[in-house]
Amino acid sequence: MSKQKSSRPTKGDVRNRRKHRDTDTTKPVADLQDSDSQHFKQRRRSSLRAGLAVMGGRAAGALSRRLHLGGGTSIAGLVAQSVYPGIVGHLSKQLAHGSILVTGTNGKTTTSGLIAAILSDAGFRVWRNREGSNLMRGVAGALVIRAQPNGHLRRSGQAISIFEVDEAVMSQAVRTIPPRVAVFTNLFRDQLDRYGEVDSVSARWRYAVSLLPDTTTLILNADDPSTAQLGELFSGKVMYYGIDDPSLDFAAQQGPAAERHQAIDTRTCPFCGGEYIYTLQYYSHLGHYRCSKCLRTRPEADVRAVKVSTDGIDRLRMQVETATQQEEIVIPLAGFYNVYNALAAIAASLALGIARDPIVSGIEQFKPAFGRGERVQVEGRTLRLLLAKNPTGFNEVLRTLFNNGTFRHLLLVLNDNVADGRDISWIWDVDFERIVQHIATLTVAGTRALDLALRLKYAGIEPQDISIVTSGPLRAAKSIIQSKAHRMRGRGRLATAEAGRGSELIAIGDGLINQVSTKGYGIANALDSAIRRTPADETLFVVPTYTGLLEIHHELERRGLTPHYWEEKGP
Amino acid sequence: MKEASEPHFTLSLGHLYPDQLNLYGDRGNILTLRRRCELRGIELRVVGLGIGDALAPDEYDMLFIGGGQDKEQAPVAQDLYEIKGIGLWAAIEDDMPVLAVCGGYQLLAHYYRPANGPDMRGLGVFDAWTIHKGAHVPRCIGDVAISWNGSTLVGFENHGGRTYLGTAKPLGKVLKGYGNNAEDHTEGAVYRNAYGTYMHGSLLPKNPHFADFLIALALKRSYGRTNRAAENLVQPMDQNNGSTPTAQHTKASKWPSKSRSRSQQGIEDDPVKFLTPLDDTLEWEAHAALLERMGLYTAAADALRRSIEAGTVLHLHEISAARE
Repeated sequence: MSKQKSSRPTKGDVRNRRKHRDTDTTKPVADLQDSDSQHFKQRRRSSLRAGLAVMGGRAAGALSRRLHLGGGTSIAGLVAQSVYPGIVGHLSKQLAHGSILVTGTNGKTTTSGLIAAILSDAGFRVWRNREGSNLMRGVAGALVIRAQPNGHLRRSGQAISIFEVDEAVMSQAVRTIPPRVAVFTNLFRDQLDRYGEVDSVSARWRYAVSLLPDTTTLILNADDPSTAQLGELFSGKVMYYGIDDPSLDFAAQQGPAAERHQAIDTRTCPFCGGEYIYTLQYYSHLGHYRCSKCLRTRPEADVRAVKVSTDGIDRLRMQVETATQQEEIVIPLAGFYNVYNALAAIAASLALGIARDPIVSGIEQFKPAFGRGERVQVEGRTLRLLLAKNPTGFNEVLRTLFNNGTFRHLLLVLNDNVADGRDISWIWDVDFERIVQHIATLTVAGTRALDLALRLKYAGIEPQDISIVTSGPLRAAKSIIQSKAHRMRGRGRLATAEAGRGSELIAIGDGLINQVSTKGYGIANALDSAIRRTPADETLFVVPTYTGLLEIHHELERRGLTPHYWEEKGP
Repeated sequence: MKEASEPHFTLSLGHLYPDQLNLYGDRGNILTLRRRCELRGIELRVVGLGIGDALAPDEYDMLFIGGGQDKEQAPVAQDLYEIKGIGLWAAIEDDMPVLAVCGGYQLLAHYYRPANGPDMRGLGVFDAWTIHKGAHVPRCIGDVAISWNGSTLVGFENHGGRTYLGTAKPLGKVLKGYGNNAEDHTEGAVYRNAYGTYMHGSLLPKNPHFADFLIALALKRSYGRTNRAAENLVQPMDQNNGSTPTAQHTKASKWPSKSRSRSQQGIEDDPVKFLTPLDDTLEWEAHAALLERMGLYTAAADALRRSIEAGTVLHLHEISAARE
C-alpha cells in the first residue's frame, strides 16, 4: 500500500504530460503514422491510465476503510476519476451485458435492488453501487473496486451493472455510460438547497434523455407526470408502468378534505403550463391525470398493477398485468410506494428479455436494503429502520405505519448535514397531524431534534410527551441555569425532585422549572432512551434522515448488531 | 361577522396562492398562527386565495404570501398585479399586517428580473427590486439570523435573486447568512405593517415573538379601533400564568384607553405585551439552538434570557450540565 501511495504524485504528473501530448501533438504524429497504429497507441495509453486510476482508487479506498472513515467506495471512485476522468466509460464498456441506470427522487435503491435480485436469479453477475453513494464518484468506485491494475474488470463475462444515479447527475451518467435500460422512478421535492427547484431537475432530465442512444429502453412511471413527459422526447423504445386501481384513490380513502394537505410537487404541464386535473390521485402528484389546457393525458401503462392490497404490515400483494401476461406477486416490503418500485423492476426486466420465473422469485425473495424496513433485534425489542428523507417519503412511511390505527413506538431522527439537505423546512409539509392520536412513545433526536419536536408540538402533541435527545448541549441554557441555580442556592431555595424515569425536576424560585435531562446527547443515547421506552417484545420504528440512518447503523454495528454495510454480500 | 355582544374573537387570514406558492414548508407559518391564536381563544379562519380570486380587503385581518418556483411564479405575478393589486394596496395602506416570504416578498417589490426572460412586474409595495444574475452566481442558501426589534429572528434562506432596497426599510440586520443580496447586510423589507423576508424554516414557529407581533397587530387593527373591548384576550403579564384564558364578558369600554389604565404602556408601543403569554420553551430552545449552530452564542443566550424574563420559557428540556 505504501508503494502505491508514494507513486501517486507521479501519477498526477503522468496525467498532465499525457494530456498535453493528447491535445498538442497528435496531429503531426498522425501525418507520419497510419491510423491503425495510432488507434492502438491511444488504446494502450488509456488502458495504462485506467490501470493507474484503478490502483490509485483502490489504494485510497483501502486506506479509508483501514482508517474507519467509511466504506471507501466513494473515495476510490473520486481518486480514480481524478487520475483518469474517463475511467467510468473505460470500465463500463467491458461489461458484457451493459448497464442499467436508475434515477428519481424516491425508490432508487429499492428499485435497483429488485432489478438486481431478478437479474441474479436469471443467472447474471450483477454489479451495483449499492453502498448508496449515487454521485458519479460512487459509480466510478463500484467499478474500480472490481477492476484489476491492468485496467480490466475482473470476470466481466456474465456481468451486468445496475447503477442508481442521483437525479442531478443523470446527464453525466448517461454520457459516460450509454445504458441499455434507463429507469426514471419519480420526481419529488428533495434537498431543495442542493438542486434549487424541482423544475431544474426536470430540465436536467430532459437533457439527459436527449443524450440517450436510440438503443436504450426508457422505463418511465406513467403516474408521475414529471417522468411520463420524458417519453415524448425520446425516439427509442419507451415502456411505462403504473397503477390502475381506483380503490387506492387518496380522496376515496381519506375524504376530499385530506387532499389539500398533501405535499404536491408537480402541478402544471411542462409543455403548456396548464394545471393537471386528476381522475385518480394515489399520493402527492401521482395518479391518473390530464392537462387542462393541451389535454395531454397519462400514457397507458405497459406494466400495470390492477389490484393492490396490503398483506399484513410487512407485505403487499399486487395483481400485475402486461399485454400478454397476468400474475399475482407478493412484495415482501411495506409501503404503497414499493408497488411502483416493483413495477419499475418488472418493466426493466421485461425490457431485458427476462423470463417470468426469475422476475417472480426475485421480487418475492427480496431482502430490503438498509433503512428500507429491515429489522434488528435489540434487548428483546425489534427495531425497524425506515429511511425518510423528504416530505413525500415521510408521509408514505407514516401512512404505512399508521394505516390501521395501531399505536406505535417511534424514534425520529432529523439531521441537517449536507447529505440530508441543510434545509429542514420540509418537515412542516409532513402530515404529523394524522399520527397524533396513535403514538405510544415518541423520541426525537438528531442535529435538528428541537425543530422536529416543535413541528410535533404544533401538530398537537404535548411537548412533555416527547423525549428530546439533542446532539449536544445548549450552551445558552447551561449558562443561564448555572447563574440562576447559583443565586438560588445561596438563598437555600433549590429543590430537586424525581420526575419519572430519565429526568429530574429542579424547581428554582420564581416559577422557573427546569426539567434536567439525564438522557444525555447524541444518537447512542437517543437509541437507548427510545429502546427503554419501548416495552419488551414490542417494535420500535426508527425513522431517520439519510445521515441519521448512517449514524444508527454505525451505532448498531458498534454493538455488533448488523454487518458492516460494505461487507454485505450481493444477492 | 363580528357581533358586539359575542365575547368570541375571530381573525381572518387571507393565504394568497396556497397552491402555487407553497415551497419550503411555509405551511408552518399558517399552522403557527392558527395554533397561537387558538391557545388564546381566538379563532383564526384561513381563506385560500388562488389565481382569479378577488381580494376584498375588508374581509381579512391579515395576509400571508409564500414562495414558489419560477415557473409557477409567472402566472401568480400577473394575477397579483391585475386582480389582487388594488385590494392588496388598499389593505396595506390601511395597516393590515402582511407577511410575504421569498417569492411573495419579491412580488411585493417593484420587479423581479430573471436571469433570462422578461421582467416580472411586482406591486411596488416595497421600494426594492430583485435581480437574478444568472446560473453562474450561486444561490443564497443556508441558515440565517438577523437582528429585529431588539431581538433576533432565525430561519433558512434559499433564493437565487438578489434584492436591493431603495428607500424601503429593511426588516433587520444580518448577523449570519446572506440576507437580501449578500452585500449590504440587510434582510427583508418593511412598509407600514407589511413585512417581506427571505426567511423560511418555517419562519414563525421558531420566532414566536414575531408570530405574536403579527397577531397583535391584527387584533389591534381589527378590534382596537372599533371601540370594542378586548381585555379578555389581552391581559397584563403579572396576572397570567400562561394558561389559556377563558372567555369573559366584554366590558363596554374603549379598548386602547382601558388598556392604558391597566398598564403603563400603551398597545401602540408594544402590542405583544398585551397578548396572553404562552409556554414557548421549545420554541426558544429551537431558536437558541439554531443561533448556536451558527456560532452566535451571545445572541442565543440573550434570546433565551429575554424569553425567560418574559415568562414564556417555563422549563428547559435538556440541561444536564446544570447539575455539575
